[in-house]
Amino acid sequence: MSDFLKIKNLKASIDGNQILKGIDLEVKPGEVHAIMGPNGSGKSTLASVLAGREEYEVEADEVSYLGDDVLELAPEERSRAGLFLAFQYPVEIPGVSNINFLKAAVNAKRKHRGLDDISAKDFMFMMKEKQALVELKQSLANRSVNEGFSGGEKKRNEIFQMAMLEPRLGILDETDSGLDIDALKIVANGVNKLKNDENAFIVITHYQRLLDYIIPDFVHVLFDGRIVKSGDKTLALELEEKGYDWLTNGVEAI
Amino acid sequence: MGDKQTFLKQFDSIPAVFPVQGTARAHIHNGLDFPTTRDEYWKYTRVNAILDKDYIDNSWMPSSINEYSIPAMDSIDIVFVNGGFNKELSSNASESGLVFGSVLNQDGENKNLILEHLGKYADSEKHAFSAFNTSYFKDGAFIRIKKGCEIKRPLRILNLSGGVNQANNLRNLFLIEENAQVQIIAHNIGAELQGGFVNVVTEVSVGDGSNLEYYLIENDGDESSLINTTHVHQAGTSTAKVVTLTQSGRLVRNNLNFDINGQGCESNMYGIYFTSGKQHLDNHTYADHRSPNCESNELYKGVMTERSTGVFNGKIMVRQEAQKTNAFQSNQNILLSDNASINTKPELEIYADDVKCSHGCTIGQLDDEALFYLRSRGLNKLEASKLLIQAFAGDVLEEISIPALQEYVAEFIHKKFEDLDA
Ligand SMILES: Nc1ncnc2c1ncn2[C@@H]1O[C@H](COP(=O)(O)OP(=O)(O)OP(=O)(O)O)[C@@H](O)[C@H]1O
Ligand SMILES: [Mg+2]
Repeated sequence: MSDFLKIKNLKASIDGNQILKGIDLEVKPGEVHAIMGPNGSGKSTLASVLAGREEYEVEADEVSYLGDDVLELAPEERSRAGLFLAFQYPVEIPGVSNINFLKAAVNAKRKHRGLDDISAKDFMFMMKEKQALVELKQSLANRSVNEGFSGGEKKRNEIFQMAMLEPRLGILDETDSGLDIDALKIVANGVNKLKNDENAFIVITHYQRLLDYIIPDFVHVLFDGRIVKSGDKTLALELEEKGYDWLTNGVEAI
Repeated sequence: MGDKQTFLKQFDSIPAVFPVQGTARAHIHNGLDFPTTRDEYWKYTRVNAILDKDYIDNSWMPSSINEYSIPAMDSIDIVFVNGGFNKELSSNASESGLVFGSVLNQDGENKNLILEHLGKYADSEKHAFSAFNTSYFKDGAFIRIKKGCEIKRPLRILNLSGGVNQANNLRNLFLIEENAQVQIIAHNIGAELQGGFVNVVTEVSVGDGSNLEYYLIENDGDESSLINTTHVHQAGTSTAKVVTLTQSGRLVRNNLNFDINGQGCESNMYGIYFTSGKQHLDNHTYADHRSPNCESNELYKGVMTERSTGVFNGKIMVRQEAQKTNAFQSNQNILLSDNASINTKPELEIYADDVKCSHGCTIGQLDDEALFYLRSRGLNKLEASKLLIQAFAGDVLEEISIPALQEYVAEFIHKKFEDLDA
């Protein structure tokens, strides 16, 4: 069987600034990886590069996902292959209705699998089911994509979309930031329900709190574009207590 | 440029039925010249290709108009073929208070009204293509909505052109009397037109308390030229809205002029276009505020791709007596290709001091962040662009208050994307 996700020596630059300086990471089905690290260390950059944002100059020895060279794929091809990024800052798209957008996304994925467009009835049923999963207000689905959504609503909407698209690899970029404590539980619960032996999650967060609900198999610390420490879930607790200084002292920042 | 007389001579056998036609002929033969790019208002639009051509009067005739219909549209239609009225293809439905027929076929009171109004609003003194139309039009639509009448169904003027090197000078006159209400669609189609020239002039008088919606659909095909000149004369407290949809045309020039004469008038101009290939589209609009307390709104939105080029020139004139004028203007463009371009320019002339005026134009690309977001959910670039363009066009689409027509425009945008995909 080919590897699920394998990243070797991934580097990324933008406007001449190197942000990722050689990342190694391997993810297997059924695993949850947490990525922590100080502001500006490159967490979102890693997530964006995996999702296919085109602004970066990227090089790597290997970035493979289910046997494909990820870097060769367009963002939409990655998505159809089951990769999903829940954005740290979801964009507002006035005038594009959530429903039309989601229907197009669901159908793009179905087409990729050789299926016909989803029927209106099945789509509505699926919407209801997944909205319930993240307790997203139904009225939000009728509005423009993220337009005027509160910070928390945007994050919930990301998880709702994730539930609709049922990815193999979900990357959650600070989905917990801006969520109240009840919402945090709901979102975490949603993720746990989507989790199975076939899929995997990379959870980017600053807070141990989320990891009480979504229990990681591995915790990685990203600092200045490199993973400087990996461990199990106890590493997150240690970070909560001690901060990052003890890890980053002696690591040279540019 | 070809010789003007040679060009005009091709049309001299068309009879001059109305006195204004004779006057215009003399003027265009002896005085007025066609514009060149040295004329300020024609700087970016060359008309040589129109004037250099030899025109033939074709006998092309459609057997039915079914294929030129707008799906789900319940309109009363009259049909012109190459500028001449076709009674057989026209509907003979009627409503009370409505006169809807050919300019040539009127008599009695209606004929007198035509003699009184025809040529009163369009400027054949200075504008050569208007003078050319006045000189050589064969016919056109005459619409009269009598005082206090509201016409329930939209009226559609189907102006079909067909054949090789056909010229079509259609001349319309709409008289919307006091407290009347109507929706009119001028549907220009180059049915089997190859290298033709369609030159339409429409004069509109809107009476006190009236409400007019006028939709221009321009689809003469990618080898033909269209010059579409519309003069709306508003009196009293009237509301008029003109929405222009440009679907095709190798060269399209729209002249839309509003004379705002009554107190408390509302004048609305909307445009939507999606150009491709080597199309050239030029929108010139003019809101002439001549009396106080009026409002004009203008929003033109367009998408341009491939090697197409565009011009937008929106003139707002606020005369000294037009105090408390509110005038808004905006032209927004999305260029989907590096080879597409547009020159867009507002032109404000304000002589009154108590005036609110705003204008803006934008030329840009689709928002990269939004595109990436949509693509990250599995939509390909074209599908993502389509959703964003539909959203971009949304506020102009909303101004189309005939649902079937709104759907038609949405479908046009959809179809453009399918063509781009192919
Ligand atoms: N266009 C750009 N030009 C230069 N530097 C950039 C550009 N975009 C991002 N960066 C820098 O890259 C670094 C990494 O940013 P990134 O968003 O990946 O950090 P992060 O780890 O997600 O931080 P946070 O925890 O605050 O979300 C930052 O220092 C940022 O300023
Ligand atoms: Mg980040």
